Amino acid sequence: GGTTLRLALNQTKEHPSFVALDNFGNRLSKATSGRWDIEVYPNETLGAQQEAIQLVSDGTVDMAIVSGTQLANLNKDFRVFNLPQVFDSIEHQMNVVNNPDIVGDLYSSLEDQNLTVLGGFTQGARSLYTSKGPITKPADLAGMKIRVQESDIHTKMIELMGGSATPMAYGEVYTALQSGVLDGAENNEVSYVSQKHHEVAKHYSYTNHLIGVDYLIMNTDRLAEMSAEDRAAFDREWQVAIQEHTELWKTATEEAIAEAKADGAQFHEVNTEAFSKALQPLIDESLTTDTARRLYEAAQSAAP
Amino acid sequence: MDPATLAGLILLIGIVVLIALGVPIAVAIGLPSVLATMALIGLDNAVVASSQRLFTGINSFTLLAIPFFVLAGVLMNNGGIATRLIDAAKVLVGRMPGSLAQTNVVANALFGSVSGAAVASAAAVGGVMGPRQREEGYDRGFSASVNAASAPSGMLIPPSNTFIVYSLVSSTSIAALFMAGYGPGILWALACMTVVFLYSRKRPELQGTDRVTFTQLLVTLRKAVPSLLMIFIVIGGILSGVFTPTESAVIAVLYCLVLGFAYRNLTVRGLPRILLEATRTTSIVTLLIGVSSALSWVMSFARIPGMISDALLGLTDSPTVILILMMIMLLVVGTFMDPTPAILIFTPIFLPIVEEFGIDPVHFGIMIVFNLCVGTITPPVGNVLFIAARVGELRVEPVIRRILPFLAALIAVLFLVVFVPQVSLWLPTQLGLINGGG
Amino acid sequence: MHAVKKVLDKVLAAVCVLLFTVLVLTVSWQVFSRQVLSNPSEWSGAFARYVFVWLGMFGAALVFSERGHIAVDVVVRKLPERVQRVVAVLVQLTIIVFAAVTLVWGGRRASQLAWDQNVPGMPIPIGVGPLYLVMPITGVIIMFYAVHHVIAVLRHAEATVEVDDTAEAL
Ligand code: NA
Ligand code: NA
Repeated sequence: GGTTLRLALNQTKEHPSFVALDNFGNRLSKATSGRWDIEVYPNETLGAQQEAIQLVSDGTVDMAIVSGTQLANLNKDFRVFNLPQVFDSIEHQMNVVNNPDIVGDLYSSLEDQNLTVLGGFTQGARSLYTSKGPITKPADLAGMKIRVQESDIHTKMIELMGGSATPMAYGEVYTALQSGVLDGAENNEVSYVSQKHHEVAKHYSYTNHLIGVDYLIMNTDRLAEMSAEDRAAFDREWQVAIQEHTELWKTATEEAIAEAKADGAQFHEVNTEAFSKALQPLIDESLTTDTARRLYEAAQSAAP
Repeated sequence: MDPATLAGLILLIGIVVLIALGVPIAVAIGLPSVLATMALIGLDNAVVASSQRLFTGINSFTLLAIPFFVLAGVLMNNGGIATRLIDAAKVLVGRMPGSLAQTNVVANALFGSVSGAAVASAAAVGGVMGPRQREEGYDRGFSASVNAASAPSGMLIPPSNTFIVYSLVSSTSIAALFMAGYGPGILWALACMTVVFLYSRKRPELQGTDRVTFTQLLVTLRKAVPSLLMIFIVIGGILSGVFTPTESAVIAVLYCLVLGFAYRNLTVRGLPRILLEATRTTSIVTLLIGVSSALSWVMSFARIPGMISDALLGLTDSPTVILILMMIMLLVVGTFMDPTPAILIFTPIFLPIVEEFGIDPVHFGIMIVFNLCVGTITPPVGNVLFIAARVGELRVEPVIRRILPFLAALIAVLFLVVFVPQVSLWLPTQLGLINGGG
Repeated sequence: MHAVKKVLDKVLAAVCVLLFTVLVLTVSWQVFSRQVLSNPSEWSGAFARYVFVWLGMFGAALVFSERGHIAVDVVVRKLPERVQRVVAVLVQLTIIVFAAVTLVWGGRRASQLAWDQNVPGMPIPIGVGPLYLVMPITGVIIMFYAVHHVIAVLRHAEATVEVDDTAEAL
């Protein structure tokens, strides 16, 4: 019978993204009487995000979860939602990135490459964690080597916050923190604990500098094959999946915090205003186009 | 026939037939992979998926450690480091029965502890030890087989390129694998030494004759210290987190360059030739890793590993039986195939199965590498076997005859490695590399 | 054709030596900038990876010139000499098909698909697409070498099976 959509995912089977997408597939299959189903391939088995985009564009893979950094590579305007402190909270973020009035044009901007963006999952709010002591203001980061992803925005962000950005594969961060090669790293609470970094960097400081987003992309031609009725079911179940993911993410975050605290990690508040001020130049210099500025303002005015 | 089954058949038949025809293994894996992908998604998409996997399979910072360790090995061969390690080995075991053969074993282990490859060691150490043994009346087949049998210990004793390949396909920590390799690697050398001991005990002409004074001992060992210092730089650097494995490999290169120039065995004009030699070895492995990445992609796409594991688990649910089946299969495969392609092909299929039994992926890595190392010296084919015969200026047959007792001893050790996890896991567990995160 | 092959061999060898040198320098710089300058390099990791892909592909092409890739020849060696010659030609034809389909055609298409993507973290924009071009380039070179070997084997100027198996595997 029906068509099974192959979805490439970079996370494990235990991750909220896999759970929400897997359930999405099951509900879609039910709602369309088996005409459409989704099979999620976790753990990058179909390729990392950079390749997954190419495969979706070529039609080899139907759907993929890719980060904003990857899409910004294709259309710079996606950078807006990747900037630090664009969103106050995960709710704010979800309201913006899944609001067709704000993102409609942006999400169809890649259709000449056969890519349609359907919406986004949160990656959670990222904060700094360090081994030597809490960070409360930018000056505390002076001379500290902080691990970043290979991305110019992340590099600039850490430099502006006062640290020394050190790109490194995430798998190597644990020993680097342990030995003092790194003084810290930045990520959400879930990764902080699942990678056991809380064992070697006991101070998690709530800089909340950035809330990352993972987009669901789909091959445009394949999406167009859906009947209006099936497409409506697809959209409806996708919205449910986003909500389920946000709930799962919150639970995972709470569990992670509890585990870290039980293991002796400490969570600290920071001088939010000082960091906000330090990061402003990055926002200003990144909003280079009218579209980018419009998106940024729309995001700001959607703040609760 | 459903597309997934068709893809599976194309892979199985295509790879076996092409390898048997003598097609380079990389192509024998690459072509069936793209054809199997075609059976699933059509040729137009398949060529993109396959070439993309080939490219990204190589595009890894971890993998970069391999060219550097290979280059360090070539530099060592040309830089006078091998001779110093042999001298050190000689003063350590020079008084045992069969002293020159024992020296060969220990020198291979020492060479292995600073280099990532086995073939280089068999060539460098055997090239020096063979003639010396001939002068003292050793059977030539015996001395070549000692050299062959002991050289693969270098793939188990870190640093080891083979473990880097495994870490890549299994997502395990290189540091943990390296530490887990010490026990089995040392057991490998001890097994060889035992066979040499039993062989030489009743042959009066092979008794240890070298009597060194204490001063000689100190002088020789001191000369080897700079070469052995590399262990501390590479392994210490990785364990302490000061360097990533790739960075420690480049440090090894720089260190070998400095030593080679200090010993006046290297010249700037000679460097291009050395770089080219390292490029050849590296590229052979690189292409294999690239095409294997295309192979494992199409296998995941068609969900083949799941089908195989269901089939295997349908036969029996005893972990012991399945492990023994896997080890026998790998011994047969390893007899004909080099460790790298075999690791790349079989890890994605076997690892999920053994993980279901609760076997540690690091432990399984040691098993699979140990097993395939045995394959490199199992007749009728094997790189190490051929190199050892060649540096011994022999045809391969006399070496094959003499190597059988070594094989028997090493297969016994293999069983120990498979069924006593502590042989591998004790050291990395003590160091907090397993179950400690990171 | 033989003269062309000799020139090509020399060019490839020079490219490989250059790329390998760049590779050693780049990763050395990465260590130096972090440990000594305390100002970690942002581009070296990604840059080194792509240099390595280029080195690996050009090096692989060079090894095809020497028929040096690891192969299993126990079966073929047992065949009569005439059959060996046929098999040797078949082997080279297989290489041609592989290089044409995966490296030239697939590499070109993959390059086009990745054309708008950039390597993250570089000080100057470096496209992923142009980097993929190493595949069609080396694909064409490998096809050239294979055609050369077919002719040489048919002319009895080359052995059917490599006698001197110098391939140094790990
Ligand atoms: Na080694
Ligand atoms: Na063998």
